[in-house]
Amino acid sequence: MTTVDIVNLFVSALLLAGVYAAMSVGMTIIYGVMKIVNLAHAGFLMLGAYFVFELYTRFHVDPLIGAVLAFPVFFSVGVGIHWLMIRRIPRSDQPTLTSLLLLFGLWLVLQNLGYLIWGNADRAILTPRTFSTLQIGPIIFPTVRLVVFGAAVASLLALEFVLHKTWFGRAVRALMQNSDAGRLVGVNVEGTARVAFGVGIAFAGAAGGLLAMMYSFTPDFGGSFLLRAFVIIVLGGLESFAGVAIGSLILALVETFSILAIPAGYQPSIAFSLLVLALVILPEGVAGLWNRRQRLT
Amino acid sequence: MTSRFPTNSSKKPLYLIALSLFAIALVLPGCGKGGKSGDEIRIGVVLPITGREAKPGQYQREGIELAMKQINDGGGIMVKSKGKKLPIKEVFYDDGSDQAKSAGLVERAMTTDEVTAVIGGYSTALGEAESVMPDRYQTPWITPGAAATHIFSRGYQYIFGALSSTDLLGYTTGEFLGSLVDAGKLKKNLAVALAVENTDHGVEYGAGIDRWIQDHPGYFHVVFNEKFDLGSPDYSGLLQKVKNAKADIFLVDAHLQDYITMERQYIQSGMHHQMLSYGARGPDKDARTALGDATNYIFAGLWWTKNLPYPQVKKFNADYQAFAGHEPDSYYPAPAYDSMRALAAAIEQAGSLDKTAIRDALRNVELKDSLLPGQTLHFGKNGQVSYPFVIVQNKPENKTDIVYPKDASTGDSVAPRPPK
Repeated sequence: MTTVDIVNLFVSALLLAGVYAAMSVGMTIIYGVMKIVNLAHAGFLMLGAYFVFELYTRFHVDPLIGAVLAFPVFFSVGVGIHWLMIRRIPRSDQPTLTSLLLLFGLWLVLQNLGYLIWGNADRAILTPRTFSTLQIGPIIFPTVRLVVFGAAVASLLALEFVLHKTWFGRAVRALMQNSDAGRLVGVNVEGTARVAFGVGIAFAGAAGGLLAMMYSFTPDFGGSFLLRAFVIIVLGGLESFAGVAIGSLILALVETFSILAIPAGYQPSIAFSLLVLALVILPEGVAGLWNRRQRLT
Repeated sequence: MTSRFPTNSSKKPLYLIALSLFAIALVLPGCGKGGKSGDEIRIGVVLPITGREAKPGQYQREGIELAMKQINDGGGIMVKSKGKKLPIKEVFYDDGSDQAKSAGLVERAMTTDEVTAVIGGYSTALGEAESVMPDRYQTPWITPGAAATHIFSRGYQYIFGALSSTDLLGYTTGEFLGSLVDAGKLKKNLAVALAVENTDHGVEYGAGIDRWIQDHPGYFHVVFNEKFDLGSPDYSGLLQKVKNAKADIFLVDAHLQDYITMERQYIQSGMHHQMLSYGARGPDKDARTALGDATNYIFAGLWWTKNLPYPQVKKFNADYQAFAGHEPDSYYPAPAYDSMRALAAAIEQAGSLDKTAIRDALRNVELKDSLLPGQTLHFGKNGQVSYPFVIVQNKPENKTDIVYPKDASTGDSVAPRPPK
């Protein structure tokens, strides 16, 4: 294998990391603030994909703009679902069986609603961007993946900005670190959780829209991404947005390069192995390792 | 798991919401149709119309229901022991593309619903799960969508399959490529890269190609042979390996979604092979919509195509269009349609609703006006049919031609594929 091949593979892995980060960030926000594992995440990815598809086919809205438009729409959906169901879940510093069951049930309902509305045909968005590539010397960048990568980086940067420069961000960080203490210093726990859930669902919807530019989808869409999202947030540290980026990069690099050494059929076992390894060796994720090092120095 | 805050509502309503969501989710996907009566023949149909295999499952359901409608329009099936024609009553279940659910629903149809026979199992994985039930409940089962031979090599007595084996699909693919060498369109001893889905379907497809290559030395040699996992979001690593293998021909066995994802990445990576196939995928409408001109000149081995030049196929195409509201897409509805017709013929031949008698009749039934290539459907000793495949090739403007065998061809094969 030539150096160019290796660089091309690295680019593929980097762009894949962008895809993974885009689809994981919403789940991390919700877990970080509310300690809820959003099993319905895949359902919102699917709805985001159909939202962008509908805008594209009915109104010829560019899928990228569609993904941006998905953000406020899905934010409202998320706030509505929080009001309807999530606020009723007893708060805990660990994911509860009730929340898992509720959100798993919600995922099944979303899937079946998808089947009722859109049927079971494989949908896809085909634009001039679909097959276009940007070539710099011998290195190839598929445009769609580049766009998704850019969107993922922009999302993470925006989140970092909001978390560190706004009152809402400080409230979110306070709840992530210690919700009791946050409440004592005047953080509106209920309101912050509602907005955080809305933002998490908004990111899921927008990510679904971005994924729709790359993959075909049915109402079943998103399930295969869910396991990877778990791996990423466990790898990166369950409450860290920088960790999401690192977790995505590790998973993408390991998946892409390991195929060169082992048969591609074993690819799913890589994600599972990473999950087990992370839980055993790095239960707080890479971000936890970084924090520990900071404390020691 | 301690609650550290007072909750603003009790747990009860939440559990009720959670339970309601489950109930709705479980009820929505598929509902069986009950009602027992001695004046009808109850046929179980277990297919996926949701989940990964939803589309093929839907098409197969339409094929079966069209056959049922036509039979019922003619008064039903003559059952000698009852002295009259009995209408068919369908008991349908959607297995949601889930193996465990699929087997469970076949069991339910065979026990609770007391069906006379079951037609079901689209895709080898789902068919395999279902195939353990028929002998347990001594109820005939025909699969119109599971092709892997190993399902039929376990000595089961009540199972029948309306698709030729995937091994034969691979072998026919080899034959077709060999015919291109003989015609001077491809050079001899070209390098072949094989990437097959990590299922029995994929393994048998690869084995069939390997077998043809070994039976015909000097035509091709395999330089890459690997399995890949279904539903992967990224094939760049696999495609890089294929690229490094420097093959002339790239043969893949994939499901529809993987075909779309892989072909998109294949084009983006700038790869090109003289011939390219995704096994039985190629002319699928959803894929052509998702991939556009990128599907041109991809060839596929199919169990059936609407372009077959038989009069009964033309009639079927028209009837199907009127019944389903759309044209047949790929091969899916035809084996399902013929499965129902073969079952009806076997019931008539058995002269009763005795399941063992129907099983025995199925072993001997010959559907002379079959839609399938060769025009005769007959189940072999192991229960699986063995009729020839047709090779089709996508052409520009959404056209698809039969290119092999020659006597059924509707257009010339384009080989090698023109570069993009």
